[in-house]
Amino acid sequence: MNKLIPILLLLTFFTDFDDTTSQFITRQGQVTFFSYTSVENIEAKNNQVVSILDIEKEAIAVSMLMRAFVFKKDLMYEHFNESYIESDMYPKANFEGKIINLDASVALQTKIIKGTLTIHGISKEIEIKSTIENNNGTYALEGNFDVLVNDFDIKIPPILSSNIAKTISLKFKFQYQPYEE
Amino acid sequence: MKKKDIFVSSMVTLSILVIIFYFVTVVFSEPERNLEKVSSEVSLNSNELVASFLTDEEKSNELYVDKILEVVGFVKEVTFLNKRITVLLYSKNNDAGIICDIDKNQIEKVKTLKKHQEIKIKGICKGFLKDVVLLNCYIDLKTNE
Repeated sequence: MNKLIPILLLLTFFTDFDDTTSQFITRQGQVTFFSYTSVENIEAKNNQVVSILDIEKEAIAVSMLMRAFVFKKDLMYEHFNESYIESDMYPKANFEGKIINLDASVALQTKIIKGTLTIHGISKEIEIKSTIENNNGTYALEGNFDVLVNDFDIKIPPILSSNIAKTISLKFKFQYQPYEE
Repeated sequence: MKKKDIFVSSMVTLSILVIIFYFVTVVFSEPERNLEKVSSEVSLNSNELVASFLTDEEKSNELYVDKILEVVGFVKEVTFLNKRITVLLYSKNNDAGIICDIDKNQIEKVKTLKKHQEIKIKGICKGFLKDVVLLNCYIDLKTNE
């Protein structure tokens, strides 16, 4: 029994150690979206996106506040939050996914992230191509992808449909730091 | 009769034009984002704000989101990531705090900030993720009432 205790202690030490080194967090991730039409271009940026990256589990989670997207015009912010995204009901957009064939040791690699994106209460399976940079043990992810407005049950009134693109381009940039809980 | 008709229709056209002009200028002009001279709707300290979101996020959203808050707290970190000026404030909870996106015109004040310094921040609350998010923030270095 007495011999077991140090072994158990050692085991817990190592599992703890593994946990703290494989998890990374950013509270200042950047997500930008663009809508290009012949009538007008709309761009909005969110600089307070939270993301947690688990290198060992090859997993990534992202969460953002819809109201933290900053638009050039207040009217766009209003339409976006009140009419399209309905931010009072669905204040956040989330993504949870797995990085396919991640090699944690490589300095720069491009991988596919497969996961579920939830916007406006609707979840959709998507694949995102992302560059993954390993900078002396901290990570940075960057990439872009498109989503269809129709996929997320976002209703745009016919009078404004020519102002908003059917396909929205999204760009993301996350610079992680080790996560200590 | 005809004169009256012309008068009425011209008045109607005129008032419609005035309304359109007013609408266009109000809605399409760039809004005043500097909160320095705008008074806050809620005043509280960082512990109270974070505790509120941790106990009941839905209710806190209703109370605080898109409102101008004035929060007193202690500086945890200042960062300039992605060309943004960000000040993080401590709360009693180790994992959650307040993340404040600071207005660019506050840069001189930000440069003087030190860790653990007590400051007052006025900003628009956007909700809660790992921290409470405040945007368009204005800094008041004097916290004494």
